[in-house]
Amino acid sequence: MATLTVPVEEKKKVQEQEALITGAEAIAIACKLANVDVVTAYPIRPYDTVMQYISQLVADGEMDCEYIVAEGEHSQFEIVKHASVCGARTFCGSSGVGWMYAMEALTVSPALRVPMVCMVGNRALDDPGAFGVEHNDALAVRDLGWLLTWVDSAQEALDTALIAYRVAEDRRIFVPLALSCDGAFLTHSQALVNVPTAEQVKKFLPAYNRGDLLLHPDNVISVAPQANEDWVMEIRRQNYAVTEIAPQVIREVYAEFEKVFGRKYGNPFFEEYMTEDADVVLLGMGTLSTPVKVAVRKMREQGQKVGFVRLRWFRPFAGPEIAKTLERFKAIGVIDRDFSFGSPDLSGVVATELRSAMYTTALTHPPVLDFICGLGGREVTVPDVEKMTESVFEAAKGKWQPSTQWIGLRS
Amino acid sequence: MGQLFAVEIIYRGVFQKTLAKNITRGIVLAARNEGKLGISFGRYGDSPERNGIPAKSFAIVANDQETLEAGMAQYEPKQVDVTVVLDDSLCKGAESWAWYGVQPVHHALKAGSTLIVVSLEGKTELLEKIHRRNEPYKLGIVNGAPSFSGMWVYKDDHTDVRMIGAIAKALPQLISFKSVEQFITEKLKNSVKVTSARNAFERFTATEIKPGEGNPEQLLHFTLPGWQKMRDGVSITGQPQGGPYADPVTGEVGGFRPGRNELYKKYTTRTMRPVVNFKTCTKCTLCGLNCPDASFDVTPEGTYDVNLESCCGCGVCEQVCPVKNCISMVNESEFDNNQSQWEAYRKDQDAYLKWLETTIEKAEPIEKRAHGFRYRSQYEKEIPEALEIAAKG
Amino acid sequence: MSTFVEEKPTQTLEPFHGVKKVPHEEYYTSGHRTCQACESAQIMKLMAKAAGPRTVVLGSTGCMYVANTSYYATPWGVPWMHTQLGSSGAAALGAAAAFRAQMRKGAMKDEPINVIAFCGDGGGADMGLNAISATLTHPDYNLLILMYDNESYANTDIQISGTSPYGVNTSFSTPGKMKRIMNHRWKKNMAPMMMIGHPTCKYVSTISTSYPLQAMNSVRRALSVGGPTFIHCLNPCPKGWDFDPVMSFELGELAVNTGIWPLYEIENGKLKLYGKTKDIANGRFKRLPVRDYLLKQGRFAHFIDEDIEFFQSKIDEMWNKWLVPGIVPLQKDLEG
Repeated sequence: MATLTVPVEEKKKVQEQEALITGAEAIAIACKLANVDVVTAYPIRPYDTVMQYISQLVADGEMDCEYIVAEGEHSQFEIVKHASVCGARTFCGSSGVGWMYAMEALTVSPALRVPMVCMVGNRALDDPGAFGVEHNDALAVRDLGWLLTWVDSAQEALDTALIAYRVAEDRRIFVPLALSCDGAFLTHSQALVNVPTAEQVKKFLPAYNRGDLLLHPDNVISVAPQANEDWVMEIRRQNYAVTEIAPQVIREVYAEFEKVFGRKYGNPFFEEYMTEDADVVLLGMGTLSTPVKVAVRKMREQGQKVGFVRLRWFRPFAGPEIAKTLERFKAIGVIDRDFSFGSPDLSGVVATELRSAMYTTALTHPPVLDFICGLGGREVTVPDVEKMTESVFEAAKGKWQPSTQWIGLRS
Repeated sequence: MGQLFAVEIIYRGVFQKTLAKNITRGIVLAARNEGKLGISFGRYGDSPERNGIPAKSFAIVANDQETLEAGMAQYEPKQVDVTVVLDDSLCKGAESWAWYGVQPVHHALKAGSTLIVVSLEGKTELLEKIHRRNEPYKLGIVNGAPSFSGMWVYKDDHTDVRMIGAIAKALPQLISFKSVEQFITEKLKNSVKVTSARNAFERFTATEIKPGEGNPEQLLHFTLPGWQKMRDGVSITGQPQGGPYADPVTGEVGGFRPGRNELYKKYTTRTMRPVVNFKTCTKCTLCGLNCPDASFDVTPEGTYDVNLESCCGCGVCEQVCPVKNCISMVNESEFDNNQSQWEAYRKDQDAYLKWLETTIEKAEPIEKRAHGFRYRSQYEKEIPEALEIAAKG
Repeated sequence: MSTFVEEKPTQTLEPFHGVKKVPHEEYYTSGHRTCQACESAQIMKLMAKAAGPRTVVLGSTGCMYVANTSYYATPWGVPWMHTQLGSSGAAALGAAAAFRAQMRKGAMKDEPINVIAFCGDGGGADMGLNAISATLTHPDYNLLILMYDNESYANTDIQISGTSPYGVNTSFSTPGKMKRIMNHRWKKNMAPMMMIGHPTCKYVSTISTSYPLQAMNSVRRALSVGGPTFIHCLNPCPKGWDFDPVMSFELGELAVNTGIWPLYEIENGKLKLYGKTKDIANGRFKRLPVRDYLLKQGRFAHFIDEDIEFFQSKIDEMWNKWLVPGIVPLQKDLEG
């Protein structure tokens, strides 16, 4: 978690306002501050509350953008994709199956080098339904060249939205970015947030400059003629180059963010909580961090040396860095608020990727257990976390534990 | 490793698609009668085919499964034992996609192997078009006009079986005529076709072509850039605008020559080309306006000159031109270059007009030289003549 | 129009008064891998020529994507971008919105830029119908959606779409031993659907490549009138329809002269027939029998007299019984 309390002198300089707002409203405010040009909206819970806020901002004259209500998510994302290629800074978003309905647009935007910033209000895919959290929607684009990040507070949502524009619109990057916010917990709960000023944002965020990739009568180009087997590998290799340099760009931007806004996030890729002297750690993304941290504090009071790593960036996956951080622990428990049926060890997505990172980089390979938990918005409780940690400690002692366990499930 | 045979059929896309497939399938099925294994397939990048644009079909055959797999391990054979050309105008070279450049028709043919061309012309005329190469090869001609049909109605004029007969003669190690006959009898169940195939087999001869014999023209070549040189975002630069150009005689600048794509010359799509009478042209603009390929230059005089690098020979210009014999479509085989007709006309008007007159006289009527379906029962009317030629071999 | 609609000026594109007044500049030039006599390519050429250089074109998937723009070669002399099969409506909207916002904020020179999105019949009448419909309801954005109709999904080697004619042979509607007619759907009435369904859309027309001057002038009108507009062009397709390419132009004329393809413009609710369609409506020209058109194409070679008669009866019905011939299929005699 970023340090929310800013020294008084900084506060005076910075003149941030404190507000009681939801994660969705925080992102809406970030869009306003970022002077977004084109926004497309389509109703689906829980992300769409951000679009309701933006509607009010536009109507009140606080935000100057084209606000278009599309007739479906596919068109919604296609509109901003093309608007971005025509030079507009864009904002869009969806949840669950709405995001899936847009999948064709999501698939092609990385190759087209479209730096659109999108909010995903993570939601279970329905059927079978539920408005509650599941991470599978945003994770579905993980192979396609998107940048993916998860936040766990309204403050982080606002800050990361601004960071997202700066990162995505860096000419070395120029790929779409999905900012994931757990539905309901983050999108709809009102929390205290420091809202930066327009001047600060202007200092931090330069204008979007598409250069010679701009679609405009002064620049006669053909964008995306149909390639075939003679060209596709080279085109994909260009996206690969983006992922190679993305970690460096992200570090630069976070450092710049700290300079301008005074808020320090430290390591951009993951947050460490009570890991310094831990024997075992838990790892997860999103708002499950709150019950996990509460459980960790409780277990610490009881003398158990457990810590927590919260992953912020899923793409790029900071494999070597995470592996080096985790290799010293005796066992690791990953909490997956997602599923990946039929995967190796039947584990969720995060555990599967983490094991892969450990395999190639870590010097030691502690057991990595996976816990499927909280699907469809089911609560991840403190007792759930304690139960998971117990299993991790058993593994740390060398006792066999299942690779994947479903927690909080009625049998 | 056993012996691997590869046959390629170069044909006019869509018009000869079924024909080409019938030939390659026939080769595989005939070879089967000798206990060989084979596969028949089209070139990977040709699909979807487009009218007239050169395409390729292949048959590869082997004595055993492992050898066949060695042949299947490539998208297409890089070296073939027989090349069959189903329309002689393809002898000018084949360009299918925009970045392979133009390839000579024998590009994949092994040294000493046979090129078979369906043509009404002889070796001398064909060698004016077929490009020189460093290796020797054999040239055999199967007498006949190119057989064209379309997507839905097939013109069954026995060209397919005649070609299989000719291939059997050119490459007996691949298939014997006995196997061909067995295939036609059992699979096609048509004894008249056996006769056509036999006539083609018996009449087929091939003559040696020495290295260096043929058309000296240098063909368009293109090297593909790497990912670091390619622009980002799947983007490429667009086409620049054209402008007026100089009269070859007076040097005066006028008219309009559109900017054209330098990387894709569509002329290898043509089986016929328009010839223009600049004297009778009324400058009505309709040919240029209605050409989907923007293949007309407006001359400084205001007349319309065909750009023969880009023209694909559709014939719409002749149809829309309001002046009789002002634009006439003529068999592409009559010509051996893509020089501007208007420039020739400007340099010597009388000579050009004389040439034009004889060229148009020689031109076959539309029923003979155009390609494809024009009315129902058309093929039934045309097939008897084709069968007569088939009977003679 | 509501005062909340902020209309921006369009380019003023006067009609070309005769073929000799048509400028020579080409914004869609040679170098595309389309079939010989491809009339879909022809309308691209006419459309680009009519629009001029201050234009961006968004092209959805289809022949006019794959055949035109094979990577590294392109015929476009104006900026062009590919869009997804069902996205022509969305793409046009996105481009128009982007220019509008940036111009308002002073980030881009304020000038009227033509925004044109094209789609084939597959991408327009089928998959992209919702996006086009949504876009036609946006009065603030000046744009044109042009649907080139070759009556099939042509790029995938010819399959039926919502505008394919009754009984046609395609690879998804092959006549066989049991069923001679696999496609017994009638062609969708796209242009009237767009007109009637979107009351604030100011301009809808049908055009033909066999009427090139009128086609270009229709494009110019659509780009000048303001707001979102829609044009439907019929494009004879030598490959899919199976005919000798030399006949492309003639078949376009026949489609009109048989009454199968009516030509009209609707601007601000006012209907104007043109070309031979006008003469047919006035009784000055007798519609040619559909047989003359159908049997020149291999895709109808399997038709028997019963099929041709049925087809003729539907065209007769269109002209004799519809409230507005070729346009509104409500039966006359509404009163009582």
